[in-house]
Amino acid sequence: MASTSTIKKERKDTSALVDTQKNKKAMTALESFGRNAGLCIYALFALFPLLWMILCSFKADAQMYNTVFRFTPTLDNYEAVLLGTDYFRAFFQNLIVSGGAVLLTVVAGVPAAYALARYNFKKKEDVAFQILSFKFAPEIMVILPVFLIFQKIGLYDTYFGLIWVYQLITMPLLIWVVRGYFEDISVEVEQAAQLDGYKWFNVFFKILIPLVKPGLVASGLLAFIFAWNSFTFPLVLSGFNIQTITITSLRYIASDTVHYGQVAVASVIAVLPEIIACLFIQKHLVRGLSFGAVKG
Amino acid sequence: MARITLEGITKLYGKMTALDNLDLDVQDNEFLVLFGPAGAGKTTLLKTIAGVEFPQKGLVKIDGEIMNHVEPMYRNISMVFENYALYPHMSVYDNIASPMRSKLYKKDEAYIRAQVERVTQMMRIDNLWERRPSQLSNGQRQRVAIGRCLVRDPNVFLMDEPLAHLDAKLRHFMRGELKEIQSSFNSTTIYVTHDYMEAMSLADRIAVLNKGKIEQLGTSLEMYYTPCNEFVARLFGEPEINIFDGELTEQDGKMMVRAFGQPEPLCVEPDAAAVLTKGQHRQVHVGIRGNDVSFSFDKLPGWIQGSVYANEPIGNKVIMVVDVGGTHVLLVAPNDTQAEIDQPVYISLNMKNAIYFDADGETYIVRSDAERYTGKLAAAMEGR
Repeated sequence: MASTSTIKKERKDTSALVDTQKNKKAMTALESFGRNAGLCIYALFALFPLLWMILCSFKADAQMYNTVFRFTPTLDNYEAVLLGTDYFRAFFQNLIVSGGAVLLTVVAGVPAAYALARYNFKKKEDVAFQILSFKFAPEIMVILPVFLIFQKIGLYDTYFGLIWVYQLITMPLLIWVVRGYFEDISVEVEQAAQLDGYKWFNVFFKILIPLVKPGLVASGLLAFIFAWNSFTFPLVLSGFNIQTITITSLRYIASDTVHYGQVAVASVIAVLPEIIACLFIQKHLVRGLSFGAVKG
Repeated sequence: MARITLEGITKLYGKMTALDNLDLDVQDNEFLVLFGPAGAGKTTLLKTIAGVEFPQKGLVKIDGEIMNHVEPMYRNISMVFENYALYPHMSVYDNIASPMRSKLYKKDEAYIRAQVERVTQMMRIDNLWERRPSQLSNGQRQRVAIGRCLVRDPNVFLMDEPLAHLDAKLRHFMRGELKEIQSSFNSTTIYVTHDYMEAMSLADRIAVLNKGKIEQLGTSLEMYYTPCNEFVARLFGEPEINIFDGELTEQDGKMMVRAFGQPEPLCVEPDAAAVLTKGQHRQVHVGIRGNDVSFSFDKLPGWIQGSVYANEPIGNKVIMVVDVGGTHVLLVAPNDTQAEIDQPVYISLNMKNAIYFDADGETYIVRSDAERYTGKLAAAMEGR
């Protein structure tokens, strides 16, 4: 008698267990639904301006101020921008200036970051702060003296002049990010590699660079975006020889009317390299590669 | 295959002195253990020999050649770092293969594979080849670090606490293995440890380091039986050596030492007494190890009375702390000893093994029959 009652009780218990499991499943389903719905709303919110820009690029000027989605799509804007103006020239010049700026930033910034992370010298922190402080001042504040100096020394309206001045906006970030990554690497790892028979040069490229790569890629990408989107510097420091996309886009604002459709086309194409770069680079953006090197 | 000589090494970190005018001569094929408290400069000493830290003063010589300006890679030294220093972006296999893939020590891949197989089997990590260091436990990481060190055939092995994070059983096994490797490889080894048993079992000689200076350099037995000062005496042995104040007196023409405020003085061995008389010592510190103290719960004539302060069973023995007039005496008792706290107990000291220290400088004066420990070993060292 006693045994049957316990069996019954057990059965009851198991059924209760099944119930809770069911509940749990339902809860997780609900949770994931809620999460996805939330993310969708956010994505809609975040991507809407981009979407609107793309829509605008297909609209005729007359329909520009319609706020409904119904309009007759046209490629006139594309034709006007891509064939009617020297948009492609500006695009490639922008690519050269931004790419050059990022390259110079990486070549000069990584050793600088390494030095700031590893070596002890007088006023080290002051130097690091000084580098960061280049980003404090608004560009518009320094632009006039830079313009005058550039005119004097012949850097006005040259590739190198722009690449050089872009270092103000690209270098500080890269140095500070990569410095943090170098500091995370225990100095013993370098020493071990030296004892393993590697020259310092090899240690740097075989051991250190792979370890700082995520930071380098992320800050390099940001540097590229900053340089690509820069407006103030090319506005003042470049003339007829060199034109960047941001400046070229201004041209579609005529004295009598603003060609919003053409501005939209210019922007859509200007955004493309950034999106492509982001998608390609995404897989390198893994954090925490240096974990496990030393005692936890 | 290398003799390491350090002459007057001084290493400063800012205003901190890590190594203070240190001299050391490590013989060819010797297994030298560096032993000392944290912050004594042991790791700095290893790094100085390896060439990854540079001394402000002094010479580092390997086989008589001055190495101060030789790059670490050309010194042919293999080192285990205290914090492992593995390459986090490489697998265990690549980590261990790394020294054999450098330009300097280049080997072909088949040879590398065989060597990695050999050391990983020895370290019992041959099932972890594909893992990254971040996927390993601390003990496994440490074994990878040892593997990377042992895979080469260098002139000198430097090991910075290589067994600290292994479990007791594996550590015991590895200790034997390291000793074996060292004797079969014919290479000089300098080994840092915190574990005095590890030090005593592995070492040809032990160097005790404190505050950047070598306190004493000698064999394990010398360290244990004739420590040069109280600091060294306290480092070796478990439980810690008992050191108490003693006043030398004379009674019936024999030298005695009065201690613990006891009416009955303790007898000093004649050969030690001779030295003590010669040095005109009056106040001394007497050191006596836990296993030279006998105890009894029954009152015996001439035994010192105390009370049980603590009784700690630690497996194969019991450490009993006896309170004698305010001084604590640690002694080793058989493992089945049962005692109540504050229970009266009587102890007797085996004065044959007492070590006498100067009361002011805390330095070694004499012990009975010292030649037995130093002389024999000196002969053994010469025979090597």
